Amino acid sequence: MATELDELIGFLSSPSPQKEARKSIIEALVNLSQVPKLGEFIIQKGGIEKSMELIGGQVQILNQLLTLLIVNLTQSDLGVKRLLQEADKLEGLYVRKLVRLFSKASEGVEDYYEHVASILVNVTQRESGRRLILDPKKGLLKQILPHSDSTSLVRRKGVISTVRNCCFEAENELASILSVSQYLWPALLLPLAGKQIFRKEDTSKMPLELANPLSHERESEGESCIRIEAAEALYLIARHEGGRKALWSVNGPRILQIGYEDEEDHEVMEAYERLGSLLVNEGIVHES
Amino acid sequence: MALWLEPDSENITPEAQTDLDALSALRESAAIELKEKGNEYVKLGKKYYKDAIDCYSRAIQQKSMDAVNTSILHANRAQVHLLLGNNRHALDDAQQAITLNKANVKACFRGAKAALALGSISEAIELCSLGLKEEPENMELSKLKAIIENKAKESAAADAERASKVAKAQVLASIILDRGVSVGNPDYEENTAHRRPWLDDSKLLHWPVLLLYPESMASDFIEDFCEFDTFAAHLDNIFGPDVASPAWDSKCNYTREKVRLFYKSNKGPKLSKGQLLGYLLEGKSLPTEIKDVEDINDNDSQPYKYLHEWKIVPEKSSLHDILARKDHIIPGIPVFYVLSKGSSFYDDFLSGHW
Repeated sequence: MATELDELIGFLSSPSPQKEARKSIIEALVNLSQVPKLGEFIIQKGGIEKSMELIGGQVQILNQLLTLLIVNLTQSDLGVKRLLQEADKLEGLYVRKLVRLFSKASEGVEDYYEHVASILVNVTQRESGRRLILDPKKGLLKQILPHSDSTSLVRRKGVISTVRNCCFEAENELASILSVSQYLWPALLLPLAGKQIFRKEDTSKMPLELANPLSHERESEGESCIRIEAAEALYLIARHEGGRKALWSVNGPRILQIGYEDEEDHEVMEAYERLGSLLVNEGIVHES
Repeated sequence: MALWLEPDSENITPEAQTDLDALSALRESAAIELKEKGNEYVKLGKKYYKDAIDCYSRAIQQKSMDAVNTSILHANRAQVHLLLGNNRHALDDAQQAITLNKANVKACFRGAKAALALGSISEAIELCSLGLKEEPENMELSKLKAIIENKAKESAAADAERASKVAKAQVLASIILDRGVSVGNPDYEENTAHRRPWLDDSKLLHWPVLLLYPESMASDFIEDFCEFDTFAAHLDNIFGPDVASPAWDSKCNYTREKVRLFYKSNKGPKLSKGQLLGYLLEGKSLPTEIKDVEDINDNDSQPYKYLHEWKIVPEKSSLHDILARKDHIIPGIPVFYVLSKGSSFYDDFLSGHW
């Protein structure tokens, strides 16, 4: 088996296999990489590096398959480390390339890079991955967050999970998290805002990026796991006084209050309640 | 003839030896006399210290005394030097005295005092220890040693505190620069009692912020404006429903709905990182050092490159976002100008007639 895999991976980097051949090879690797031991073997043979060399090329279907391959390979810590290029001079370059490709993809056309969102979820399982995404100088979070309202479920889920993972660094990186407030609050609060149209007296206290969508008819977030993760992310931020203050300053608690009224899923309601009691008990005294 | 012979030369006749002995005795008694004269001078007081030193020096020059007694001479001279504040000379004499006779505990004591006065803490402690080895029960030495050790501890603590302050200021300076904030000369130190920005437990930056009312030359001071607070939140506080209009605002123009905030753009030059550090530490910006490239680009010799303009502050922005703007250079701390849309002064101000 080992030598066949070796050959497969070798084929990946050979200069002139035909498009169909390459496609089959990558498909095979995607399937095989679902088995953890084989995944590790592929990583050790340079699977991550070779995929990153090929990705971004002309043939879009290959790009899509490559993202799937990297998703599988980054299920393991070893894969994440290799993708992060830790202790390398070029640390973070692969991830930045992936985020760039993810952001540029346009809606309506087939979404070949949507699975990058899942790669980012895997990457942020590691502290160094979270720090890379949060680093204000690299601006990755700013590029990722706007996709939280994408029509692609994979994108939406991936973005919210990635942000939620990053919020585990809130103790040390609160400033980095709050520095993207303009994109952060819409990503985390809109899924929890329910369907109701908000009144002027509420939206007047919000920044435009919240006031606008909430003043109009909209579709609410249907996936309960996304709503739960958004609430968890907010909880992690609200544990810190600076985070609570910032949330209050955009009238966040009011949004949660209204959204909760429409919530029917029990697990999600619990998440709202946990967040709510944190805001009330620890919070700064606030007259509504 | 016998006078010119060296004392240890081999061919000394008995008569010559007698002569030599007599001379020796003479010189020794002269030295003793000089020593006693010196002691007398010391007792007479400060005016005569120089004379005392003179006597001791001459006595030493005689070279007629043995090690123990010469040691005493040096120790005595050391004492007078101490009284005169000549600590370097005192230390030298004390060391000489000890070299001649390490049992000279007085010399150890005086040497330690001199070393302490010169700031040589370790040498002072060494001299005390030397003396205490000879006389472990010596109270004066023990007390002095304790004083010196205390001083050493205080000095180390002060050093550590200063080092920690510098380290904190460096962290603060780095964070300020990382946030993209440009700090210029602090022009408003008196208005703000030298307040400085600070970091909270979550490493968020807090700034003291000055609000100026050009229409009335009044001012308001916001002690704590967290970087992620919005201007709206603070304006709500200052111009809230329960707050009375300021006394100078007879036409009630300065209400929550009518006030607008502005900053002055490109009010350079920027402080270099070194100057910023100095500003955060000492409370004053350092005198102009070697300007780095940024300063050269921003200085007033290129007035047309960077136009000063009044820029409006959207009140729902956070302080962080406004400070990060490239054209915003804050005078040490953030300063904003408050105008009222309801006043005719508004247009005058913005068209540059102020």
